[in-house]
Amino acid sequence: MSEDIINRPVGRRRVLQAGLAIGAMQVTSPFVVKALGEVPVKIGMDNTFTGTYAELGRNEQMGSELAVQEINKKGGILGRPVVLLSEDSTSADTGTAVQKAHKLIERDKVSLVLDSVNSAMALAIGEVTAQAGVMNIVTGGHTDAVTGTDCHWNVFRICNTTRMETNSMSKLLFDKFGKKWYFITPDYAFGHTLQQGFEASLKKFGGTEVGASLTPLGTTDFSSYLIKAQAANPDVIIFLHAGQDMINALKQAVQFGLDKRFHIAGAQQELEALNGLPPNARIGNWVFEWYWNQPNVPHVKEFVAAIRKLNNGKVPTARHWFGYAATWTYALIANEKKTLDARVLAKGLEGFTLPPEVALMPDKVFFRAGDHQLMPNLYIGHAVAHGSVPEDLFHVDQVVKGIDVAPPVSETGCHIKWPA
Amino acid sequence: MDRQYQKYVGDFIIWSVLLTMPLWLHLVGGYTPLGTRVLIMALAAMALNFLLGYTGVLSFGHAAYFGLGAYGAGLTIKYLIPNTLAGMGVGLIVGIVAAAIIGLLIIRLRGIYFAMVTIAFGQVFYFIAYRWNNITGGDDGLSGWSRQPIDLGFFKIDILHDEKAFYYFVLFFFAISVAIMAAILRSPFGRTLLAIRENERRARFLGIPIDRHVWMSWLISCTFVSLAGTLYALLNNFADPHDLRWDQSGDFVMMAVLGGMRSFWGPLIGAAMFVVLQDYVSSMTSNWMSFIGLFFVLVVLFCPRGVLGIIRRRQVQ
Repeated sequence: MSEDIINRPVGRRRVLQAGLAIGAMQVTSPFVVKALGEVPVKIGMDNTFTGTYAELGRNEQMGSELAVQEINKKGGILGRPVVLLSEDSTSADTGTAVQKAHKLIERDKVSLVLDSVNSAMALAIGEVTAQAGVMNIVTGGHTDAVTGTDCHWNVFRICNTTRMETNSMSKLLFDKFGKKWYFITPDYAFGHTLQQGFEASLKKFGGTEVGASLTPLGTTDFSSYLIKAQAANPDVIIFLHAGQDMINALKQAVQFGLDKRFHIAGAQQELEALNGLPPNARIGNWVFEWYWNQPNVPHVKEFVAAIRKLNNGKVPTARHWFGYAATWTYALIANEKKTLDARVLAKGLEGFTLPPEVALMPDKVFFRAGDHQLMPNLYIGHAVAHGSVPEDLFHVDQVVKGIDVAPPVSETGCHIKWPA
Repeated sequence: MDRQYQKYVGDFIIWSVLLTMPLWLHLVGGYTPLGTRVLIMALAAMALNFLLGYTGVLSFGHAAYFGLGAYGAGLTIKYLIPNTLAGMGVGLIVGIVAAAIIGLLIIRLRGIYFAMVTIAFGQVFYFIAYRWNNITGGDDGLSGWSRQPIDLGFFKIDILHDEKAFYYFVLFFFAISVAIMAAILRSPFGRTLLAIRENERRARFLGIPIDRHVWMSWLISCTFVSLAGTLYALLNNFADPHDLRWDQSGDFVMMAVLGGMRSFWGPLIGAAMFVVLQDYVSSMTSNWMSFIGLFFVLVVLFCPRGVLGIIRRRQVQ
């Protein structure tokens, strides 16, 4: 009998049914997760879980999930359990992101909105939450305007501004590697603001920009830009890409042998990108926003171990930390002020210092009062082909304080207007 | 006589559902802005269907005029006059002017060539919005503005803070646009468009100036898509280069096909299904796109005339 079952031919209909059943399981399973607790405090994450930024968005979500688990273990927020509701905004469609923000606020009545890897979405969702009077912590959208010209009373940001990243790198590059720079910049707002940041520093120090190439987003062939850069004969070639663009650009720079003749550097670099590079292309000087290998900083080991458990044994990246720190920030301030009132919490977060078990950085990490920007440490270093362990792809040379590299509040263009 | 009666019942049901939507939407797990989004997408899809379903011309670049409306409204409110209606007016005019000029260049093309050229022109506007950082905000989108309360002198409507008021504001424009489109389709001009759809060569032999008719149909279609675009920008308080991109055009075509492009209300049903399905399924799984794709495949396989096509077939039987 049993042989019959095994050997029975599987018909087309059966395959289709099985497919539908597996599909239905995907849709129905999250309902089980939703049934936690009685009157939970809801935290909504509106982030990029599909498309170009899917990996980054999911890593932020994972960090946030870990924080929610820990918060619930320690008694929740105001004694109530915490649930995380995640909404996919896609990577490019800001209309959907706005829609999901409305959904979280109006239907699910969340107390906090966490968003988004995509800067445009962070700006648009900031408008929605400010109108609705809901707390909003931006995890990973770097554009300056979020805590600059478009800042709001209820919006706080964990990740750095692009200007903080360029300021932290520029002095080192200028002093150590030379004063003639060539930029290879992705042609959209993120790349442009990074380049402007470096140009401002270059002007201050008295260096020269020997040229710049704008590359369209999603470029796969960088050869013409690399040839131009070579011809300009700079001291440093600066790559300002992210994600797959960064991977393609660096691979080709190595194939051209540029790393032997010029110094390669840039601003923001992420572990996700270095992981995608072959060992010989892990080159150049960069800034990381958080790094997992900090042997002398307390609590980092525990965090790394906890994420490894959730992440198939892989180490956390800066994105995990963004989600983790953002979620904990809200729990800490709400428990300190004993309320969920957005206005009280926003006032309370001005100047708020993260405790070491959340900050996971050597220096004092706090939200600046004037623009609601977190002042973390930045990790300047260089990529390495092979580290002490396979995941150790970055060597930190110097840790700088965010407050030393951030432009003063008066230069950010932020004027916070509190609701009447 | 019976068909006529059924048609009135259908219209009555649709209008009463639309009119009462904000009252019951939260009971079924929805929320008012979702209803507003359905209306706006439906307007865009119905406008596209004016060209696709009633003239038989496929455009894959309607997002361009949708986005021009959105940016026109946003830029006006942000930089020129903080007035919602003025913004909508400018957005609409920008969309119409662009459509009129581009229409003249492309009406001689048919079929796949027409579709390709509309994509090309659409992408031109997309890249302008994407690259012109100082004005449009580039990839970051146009933010830092919001729709303003409507001041009628004797009466003020706060569409900014009251989501329901904004829903009815959108419904008002939706109703006007739909009425105009329906009236045009019933006129001799509308009948001529149907004739072109059914057999273009025969219509040409009858002495109908085909190109001029297609151009008019294209212009009418783009006008209402631009209007939908201005409303979309007001809904989000944001304009985004993605609004102009070819995949947004593809979404409009999908909505029209899902609902049934041979029926007047088909795109409304299609848009409602598309928006609601996307909203619900994407909360449950990040593989939601597979489900929408699967749904689309099933509809195309089993009811090629869209969901409304099934009902109509039943009636005929």
